[in-house]
Amino acid sequence: MRVRQVRMYAILLRAGMRGQMQYRANFALITIGGFAYQGVGLAFLWIVVARFGSLGGWSIADVALLYGMRLTSHGLWSVPSAQVLSIDIAIREGEFDRYLVRPVNPLIQLLTRSFPLQTISDLMGGVIVLIGAASAADIHWGPGNVGWLLAGLVGGALVEFAVYLAVSALSFRVVAARSPLLTVGSIMQSAGPYPLPIFPAAARAVLTFALPVAFIAYLPAAVLLHRTGEVPFASWLGYAAPAVGLLLAAISYRFWMRQLRQYASPGN
Amino acid sequence: MSTEVFSAAVPTRRFAAWRGYAGIQVRVSMAYRTDYLFNLVGLLVQVFLLTVVWRSVYAGRGTVSGVDLSTQLAYTTFGSVQYWLFTPWSFSVIPDRVRSGRIAVDLVRPLPFLGQVTAAQAGITAGMAPFAILALPVAVLIGGAAAPTSVTAGAAYVLSLILAYAISTLFASTVGLAAFWTTEISGFFMLYRMIGQFFSGALVPLWFMPGWLSATSHALPFQAMNYTSLAIYLGRDQGGRILGDLAVQAGWLVVATLALRLVWSRALRRVISQGG
Repeated sequence: MRVRQVRMYAILLRAGMRGQMQYRANFALITIGGFAYQGVGLAFLWIVVARFGSLGGWSIADVALLYGMRLTSHGLWSVPSAQVLSIDIAIREGEFDRYLVRPVNPLIQLLTRSFPLQTISDLMGGVIVLIGAASAADIHWGPGNVGWLLAGLVGGALVEFAVYLAVSALSFRVVAARSPLLTVGSIMQSAGPYPLPIFPAAARAVLTFALPVAFIAYLPAAVLLHRTGEVPFASWLGYAAPAVGLLLAAISYRFWMRQLRQYASPGN
Repeated sequence: MSTEVFSAAVPTRRFAAWRGYAGIQVRVSMAYRTDYLFNLVGLLVQVFLLTVVWRSVYAGRGTVSGVDLSTQLAYTTFGSVQYWLFTPWSFSVIPDRVRSGRIAVDLVRPLPFLGQVTAAQAGITAGMAPFAILALPVAVLIGGAAAPTSVTAGAAYVLSLILAYAISTLFASTVGLAAFWTTEISGFFMLYRMIGQFFSGALVPLWFMPGWLSATSHALPFQAMNYTSLAIYLGRDQGGRILGDLAVQAGWLVVATLALRLVWSRALRRVISQGG
């Protein structure tokens, strides 16, 4: 059953991608636009660190590593599943009703409704920044650290997936749930690239326990950079990040499926 | 058709028509008020994050590059709010008109198209203004505020802000006209928006940029859309430099107007509206 789900997902994703790739020039421009979006955020951090020496004790290489990890995780989340964001459109257009009568998991059908081209630039940009920062930062890249980096990236993607999926379940109950979804997303994205200790105490707690942004990139990066000593609340939180990602994603998926039972088509 | 652009109508009637145009956009904004309220949350989070960064890097320092923390926080607060107001996410109404085919109706109206576009844009700003006014006190609580350094600075700020808005809107319309050449423009718009955000000093003021980057920013029009007004307000630029700033802005206003006219005269020859 599981294998079949994955195969269906791959087939549907490829079909969606073929449709989008008809517009090559637009794809190139969207990618450049995406790079500009991410580049501006990095340029801001670079100017600040260049002028002031460091950000919360983090050098520019450290900050770039954090930025690259966050962006790569974001790409790993968004390339396969950014369509979670368009759940309200799928519901409003009656598309979602069709998902329910087809013999494939409705979440898979939602994720593959069309391929989100703009997400490729996030993944590409993230990997580029990450490679640059990884060689500049003071880290020995043995198998242990490489393995931890990959686990951290996947864990971060799962945290993002969990948050978006949980908020998207709102759409089963209220019509206009797009704004909260986008707002939560923009908070996660904009708060992600900063070392947690620079925040005031209340914000640290929120970003760790309420909207778990810290688990996306800061905590796994702190482990790589031997900075678990500065981690707020408990230094072992850093090591827990990938497991927290898995756990949150599983809980969020169950929550989403439960909320789906509350779904009443807007057509009725 | 292009002579229509300069056709003269009775001024008051024409003004009423422009106001009607703007009014439609105000009502559109009101219809999307929930989205704007959530958008405000995004703005306030942005102000918060920027001030967290500035507070962190300023810890234990007095002035850096001649600027102290409270000035920098005021810059961040006012700069973020005015940039938000002047640069709505859909910064031009033109692409939507072209894509939907409504451009055909726009062009046969007895009002010049660029006038319609400008009035609509002003209407969007008017619709967003109450939200910006709502956000400002909260942003000040999160970030900080400062009074203008002098009466002259305050008055010059108002003038500079008006110029900034005009330059920003005219350039946005010019860029929006790209829709006449291709409808696949979301990537191009993103590029323009990001270059504009960075070089306008919306994230980091020009005074913190390394020399070469600051020189580049000063040579581009974007600083005139945001940074200049704040530099005047906060007393970074004083006396004769204020006059220089305003002159530069006036110069960019002329360039923006000419660029819009030029691109428009070319765009008009390319009208192919979707759906016939």
